[in-house]
Amino acid sequence: MKVAWQVMVDGNLDNVDADYQGKYAFATCYNSENGVTLAEMTANEQDWVVIFNIKRIEEAVKKGDFKEMKGVPVIDGRKGSKYTRYVPVSNSPHGMNTAPDGIHIVAAGKLSPTVTVMDVRLFDQLFDDKIKPRDVVVAEPELGLGPLHTAYDGKGNAYTTLFLDSQVVKWNIDLARRAFKGEKVDPILQKLDVHYQPGHNHTSMGQTKEADGKWLISLNKFSKDRFLNVGPLKPENDQLIDISGDKMVLIHDGPSFAEPHDATIVHRSKINPVSIWDRADPMFADAVKQAKADGIKLEDDSKVIRDGNKVRVYMTSTAPAFGLEQFQVKQGDQVTVYVTNIDAVEDLTHGFAIVNYGINMEVGPMATASVTFSADRAGVYWYYCSWFCHAMHMEMKGRMFVEPKTA
Amino acid sequence: MKFVSLLVPAAILAAGVSLSASAETLTAVPGQPLQVVLDGAQDGDVIELGVGEYKGAIRIDRRLVLAGQPGVVLTGTGSGNVVTVTAPDVTIRGVTIRGSGRNLQTMDSGVFLEKTAERALVEDNRLEGNLFGVYVHGATGSRVLRNTIDGLRDGRTSEAGNGVSLWNAPDVTIGENTIRYGRDGIFTISSRKDRFVNNRFEHVRFAIHYMYTSDSEISGNVSIGNHVGYAIMFSNRLVIRNNVSDRDRDHGMLLNSANYAEIDGNRVTGGRIDNIEVTRDDSADAEPGMPPVEQSREGQRNGPEKCVFIYNANKNRFRNNWFERCEIGVHFTAGSEGNEITGNAFIGNRNQVKYVGTRDLDWSKGGRGNYWSDNPAFDLNGDGIADTAYRPNDVVDRVLWTAPQAKVLINSPAVQVLRWAQAQFPALYPGGVIDSRPLIAPPPKPTSSRSLK
Repeated sequence: MKVAWQVMVDGNLDNVDADYQGKYAFATCYNSENGVTLAEMTANEQDWVVIFNIKRIEEAVKKGDFKEMKGVPVIDGRKGSKYTRYVPVSNSPHGMNTAPDGIHIVAAGKLSPTVTVMDVRLFDQLFDDKIKPRDVVVAEPELGLGPLHTAYDGKGNAYTTLFLDSQVVKWNIDLARRAFKGEKVDPILQKLDVHYQPGHNHTSMGQTKEADGKWLISLNKFSKDRFLNVGPLKPENDQLIDISGDKMVLIHDGPSFAEPHDATIVHRSKINPVSIWDRADPMFADAVKQAKADGIKLEDDSKVIRDGNKVRVYMTSTAPAFGLEQFQVKQGDQVTVYVTNIDAVEDLTHGFAIVNYGINMEVGPMATASVTFSADRAGVYWYYCSWFCHAMHMEMKGRMFVEPKTA
Repeated sequence: MKFVSLLVPAAILAAGVSLSASAETLTAVPGQPLQVVLDGAQDGDVIELGVGEYKGAIRIDRRLVLAGQPGVVLTGTGSGNVVTVTAPDVTIRGVTIRGSGRNLQTMDSGVFLEKTAERALVEDNRLEGNLFGVYVHGATGSRVLRNTIDGLRDGRTSEAGNGVSLWNAPDVTIGENTIRYGRDGIFTISSRKDRFVNNRFEHVRFAIHYMYTSDSEISGNVSIGNHVGYAIMFSNRLVIRNNVSDRDRDHGMLLNSANYAEIDGNRVTGGRIDNIEVTRDDSADAEPGMPPVEQSREGQRNGPEKCVFIYNANKNRFRNNWFERCEIGVHFTAGSEGNEITGNAFIGNRNQVKYVGTRDLDWSKGGRGNYWSDNPAFDLNGDGIADTAYRPNDVVDRVLWTAPQAKVLINSPAVQVLRWAQAQFPALYPGGVIDSRPLIAPPPKPTSSRSLK
């Protein structure tokens, strides 16, 4: 991966999102103080949202207005820079989410019971210094205690998790804008208890412009007493909420292992991964290259190549057998085992583990996987398939002989 | 306001102050730059302000007493603080202070106590229309007493400041102030060992907004008609005693991750509150066994929604409190455990207990439980304890919620039979809270330290 550019900012950066115009990105900052203790980090009355002008930044990279650090162009985006703007918000904001309408972005207050709604169409004027930073704020509704993240239904409503109230609050963006202008309207449409203390949430397709307004998932940090007690480490509780009607309805509690933290919901038609690896996949291109140099055809050959004290062990795997039932190395050799799963069958995965050598890897259908280790202990070590593959999966094993140095 | 310098013949004007080792009383008069007087004073001096109007802003960087009197007004420039204190042991007394800036980022305040302003005493002042009234920014041991603090009335709540803001300042007392308008009455974060006593709050968002300030006391305060009375969060070992919440909107008292507290003799009362048009509908939130939420008529609403909200708050002693006429008496959830709940009165709440949890809890201890106004039980042996256990939110409650006129039948044989039948089939019970020793009469109603009018 090549890092195209980085921007140096004042304060820290927490949650980030981008707009649908491709012009701006924005992030919350909860430590404008640059504090190193909790007290120092909460000393300021306000922190901020920093907005990045992507077009200007990319021009700066072209023009050379940056310092290069470790090969990465670093733009100075601290206060006063033309590449960023700082919008003050209440101390310690957290979530930052763009609405599917392409217009609104919402920064969640966390320690403030409010969220701050900004209109991205005003950002051009802000960067041209025609308006002040707070002028991009078009609503700031008080939603409840501990707002963290906001999701959208594509119909103008927003769903914000309230960590402290342990609720999801459904509110209307337009009503919030009107209330901000002084109209006597309540933007809050409904509050639903969730169990307990939600962090991230997302709606189906809600992170795209195609939000479908059907489902909401609330990732709750604590399950407490919602499931049978399994000991001190409790599962989290991911709750599924039906938002297709006027009211949110809680549908399902789902325990999950600590802690997935975030999720996304997209329509199944958007996800079309392969079931069987393409042999040309870059994932194992290094192994293919090495095999070629060694004159090995990975899909057919099972051979041991010695290169000084380096030993490369090539083998195929096809249920229920590895291409090598045994191989021999010398104590102190650096050994690399390449396993190629030649079962071109969907969901037929193999594993390769060596007992007492701390080695275990997964090899998907038509994938090559490799592991390198030092054969520093002499003796006979079983290797076996560690991923259930066949009626005789238990028999799919072989032996590695490590010849003692002194022998 | 006019000023009469003739009335202060002893005026020692700044330029003429003679340096002296012993403390002196200096007199300032309007029309003279006050900062010059301050700069000419020495540690220990008292500066008496003659009646009239003074121009701020001022900065107090030595140990002084600034003593006003009725009619002494100090007006800031409309930018930054009016009074900034950097020296320790400063007193500011009896001054009307106006005209701070309105910049939240720079925390513009009527009186701003910097970290070095330890043991400041800010008393008997009127702070009017400042963004923040008093900001205790790390000034350990300070006292903010008997001030009248009226914050910003116009503009948006989220863009206003607080009556008193406290950050990282142990051993601070904020007492007997009257705080109105602005954002929160008192806001505290990242502090400890503080006392908030006998303050009165009106027309603010949260009366006391309390985050991460352990080993402290909140006593004798009065909150009237605010969004939340006492929002107590992420703090341990608090004493919360004799506070009053009267018709606050959302919560009288909220305890979230507040542990090992002594919560005694507090009073939350609900009633009709004025409010903006209510578009929300909470009925999808109804738990099994909960009453349908009454559809609010336009412009009319009862508050608070919850007298007390106990959320993941553990090992608290919760005694002798009075919760009356809220939509929900106590909302108890998120696995709050180890709480002792005795001697409390739950009176006429639409729903006495909303319990969300799976554990069985008995809210009685040592043979004594709580008083429940809807408990139809008898006390045939006259020991003050009802003869049968009280279970909030049983089937009869649901009858009463849907047909309130049935309340006249509450001690009728028919209701008794229904309750008896229910007792034989415990599966009918929706919740896990029981009070095995309910009180037959309410404990004394806690009194208020401040006026409710």
